Amino acid sequence: MARVYVSSVVNARNDRVWARVRDFNGMPNWHPAFAESRIEGGEPVDKIGCVRDMRLRNGDRIREKLLGLSDYDMFCTYSILESPMGVENYVATLRLTPVTDGDRSFVEWTAEFDCPPEREAELVTNIGGIFQGGFDALKRAFGG
Amino acid sequence: MPRVVRSTIIDAPCGRVWEVLRDFNGHDRWHPAVATSAIERAQSADKIGCVRRFKLTDGSELREQLLGLSDLEQTFSYCLLDTPIPLFNYIAHVRLLPVTDGDRTFWHWESRFTTPAGEERRMTEMVGEQLYQGGFDAIRRHMRETA
Repeated sequence: MARVYVSSVVNARNDRVWARVRDFNGMPNWHPAFAESRIEGGEPVDKIGCVRDMRLRNGDRIREKLLGLSDYDMFCTYSILESPMGVENYVATLRLTPVTDGDRSFVEWTAEFDCPPEREAELVTNIGGIFQGGFDALKRAFGG
Repeated sequence: MPRVVRSTIIDAPCGRVWEVLRDFNGHDRWHPAVATSAIERAQSADKIGCVRRFKLTDGSELREQLLGLSDLEQTFSYCLLDTPIPLFNYIAHVRLLPVTDGDRTFWHWESRFTTPAGEERRMTEMVGEQLYQGGFDAIRRHMRETA
């Protein structure tokens, strides 16, 4: 099983960062790689099990299912139902933890998935790049 | 039961910070409150259950026992056995996580304890500021000096 781990620090309190990223239908509002998102079946965005259907700026389409969301622990876990990436059993978690020293946020994004061994390195790099792209956008949005 | 949580970012790779922190007998080398440290009964500092005896810079002594240590998770836990201040049932956990963006370290330090009524605020402040924040600042200096 392949694993991706990317982490960063955003210069804002974790409740402010969380308010921006907790919306399971809100990726296009903060992540530059995503163009459109909608929740299937008109379900609430924080209903566990809801499915988001997203289109990336490069035209790719990806459907993901919300597996877990906690406003208390500040994490969001989801799986991929459909994507052009060729991954199986893909589960990812975005997590925020407060940095008390300086009132900042420690942000982590992890993913685990299965794929053919010869594609693993490329997929780990690409997925890690998408995660870091999101963090770079958050750092810009919150000034560092 | 009071709970103290403090965390910081250290501008050094996780492996380097862990090398310093994992030495349960090495806190006298970097923490400003600790004058000397020794492990009782000549046990190894990474033997679970070993007890360290600190002499603090103010002359008082305390004993702490190592409850858990993981090089894989970069975590350790310990409890206070004897202390001159009113901290009881004190259990602390230290955890390091890599900040891949910039090759830095996220350091999380938390504890729970009991203390007599009326002492909660003073003890919470002392643990959070003098022990944990003081420790963060000291490691930051230590990392710069040993870079």
